[in-house]
Amino acid sequence: MGITALAPRPAGVLARAADWGNGYWVMTRWHLASLRIWLAVLAVIQVLAGGGSVLAVALFFRRMPASAALFMATGVPVINLIMAGILLGPQLVAEQKLQDSYEFFLTLPVARAAAAAAWYTVCLITGIPAAVFALILAEARYGIPLSVSAAIVPASLLTAFTGTMLGYALGHAIPSPMLTYLLTQVLLFGVFGFTPVVFPARQLPGWLAGLNWWLPFGHMAVIVRAGLTTAAGGGIASSYLIVALWGLAGALAAGWAVGRRR
Amino acid sequence: MNQKALTRMTTGAMSAAEDWSFLADDVTKIYNGTVLANDCITLHVDRGEVYGLLGPNGAGKSTLVRQVIGLLKPTRGQIRLGPVDLVQDPAAARRLCSYLPQAQMPINSLRVREAIELSGRIRGGDAAAVRRRTDELIEALDLGEWTRAVGQRLSGGIKRLVGFAMVAVWPGRVVILDEPTNDVDPLRRRLLWEQVRLLSLRGCAVFLVTHNVLEAEKSVDRLAIIAGGRLIAEGTPSSLKAGDRGRLRLQLMLVPGTGTPPLPGWVKGHVRVGHNLVATIAETDATRGIGWAVWLVGAGVAEEYALSATTLEDVYIRLTGDVRGPRPGDT
Repeated sequence: MGITALAPRPAGVLARAADWGNGYWVMTRWHLASLRIWLAVLAVIQVLAGGGSVLAVALFFRRMPASAALFMATGVPVINLIMAGILLGPQLVAEQKLQDSYEFFLTLPVARAAAAAAWYTVCLITGIPAAVFALILAEARYGIPLSVSAAIVPASLLTAFTGTMLGYALGHAIPSPMLTYLLTQVLLFGVFGFTPVVFPARQLPGWLAGLNWWLPFGHMAVIVRAGLTTAAGGGIASSYLIVALWGLAGALAAGWAVGRRR
Repeated sequence: MNQKALTRMTTGAMSAAEDWSFLADDVTKIYNGTVLANDCITLHVDRGEVYGLLGPNGAGKSTLVRQVIGLLKPTRGQIRLGPVDLVQDPAAARRLCSYLPQAQMPINSLRVREAIELSGRIRGGDAAAVRRRTDELIEALDLGEWTRAVGQRLSGGIKRLVGFAMVAVWPGRVVILDEPTNDVDPLRRRLLWEQVRLLSLRGCAVFLVTHNVLEAEKSVDRLAIIAGGRLIAEGTPSSLKAGDRGRLRLQLMLVPGTGTPPLPGWVKGHVRVGHNLVATIAETDATRGIGWAVWLVGAGVAEEYALSATTLEDVYIRLTGDVRGPRPGDT
């Protein structure tokens, strides 16, 4: 048994980095093992939700317009990338609060950033396969001229990061589990129906399009779309900036919510 | 524990030259500026000590523990572990203190061995040593039958033991156990207490938070009784009982539906919980105490009686008051 290593903190930069890495790795394993029963279910739900959305939109049209197909095909992966972070994450935290196990997690000797990074990794693991499936399905169904570039990597990572951090902040900052459940449902509904993710912003009323310019979700779609097609418009840099700022704000808010002591 | 690890532990960071004793000094916690949950609590616990925190519901035990592990910040006062100020450095508090909460551990989807090993790894143990220690605990706590079972299939008592193993697998310098024996069967309780004692022998300061006074009496080296946010008594179980020397407890199981019988003048104090009436009498009144009890049984007021030495529970009840009503009239 080793209480030998119990100094207040590891000495030296390398030891701290190793400690951070260990915390990240073990917490990732913890999350994956804790979710093992649900991972398969979640993956199926993600695939069905993504694939279903891609196929269902064709029902609105006698003949699917190419632009609608493009927006749907490149927007649904965004939903897949943020769904785990923005929906599952806060709901799991809410469940921990309901079961009185929340404080146990807060007392684990893992750097807060390492714990958040571990959860981000889990969100990526659950989101990316479904996003890829939705893309393949859209290409097969609508013959979208996809042109996947390396930009899809930072765009996907940043989109998932911002979704995860916003969910992380919501889960930890809202004291009432019931309110968390409700808000996350409303949020996902709002993202799907009232943000320019699966349709262009010009189809929204002016005021809502204006509001959405300040929100991250439409910009997530812009940067992901830019990595999937050559048909994307301009303003990519500002979209990256806005998504990154929201991700940073989410991370700071989550850090505050997790670290605050009454 | 293997010999190498023991040697490292006793000659390394846990050497006697280092003072890793725990100190809470004048700790006061006021919620929302109005609710006084801890009131000037001062206590000192040496490494290797098992220290009980006893008190009725809402006494302030959990508030104190939450301040130790960095979940709450004291309104006033210091909490130190050796050279480390745990209030100023909550990250160090999490690293140095292991905590078994009163609620069950969140292991519904984890297998028993996996949960224990991951806990050890989270606390910084290397893989091989954690695996060995996990084997040791599984055997010591008689958990072998369940190593591959997931948490949701476990009974409450087994889950509790697994929770303890998750804390003990790679413990901090301070180990805080909140009602560790809840739901655990009597045989495995003994195994758990053995492991608690081993933790203390290996240098940990063990805090035991409990309502179970009789168990605490057998398990702790010293204890504090907290009530109304204040530390109202502290000492070894024997020293706390010293005030009751020369007294005996006469326990009567009253017939259901009967009221408390009139008490003779030589009864020093009494507490009634349900059908259980516990009277305190002087040793010199033992004979007439038995006579009175026999008479009550004969009269159909009591079903049985027992005369014994006073216990820590008697002291506890005397200090904290009868949960059913006003403080018993001790004389």
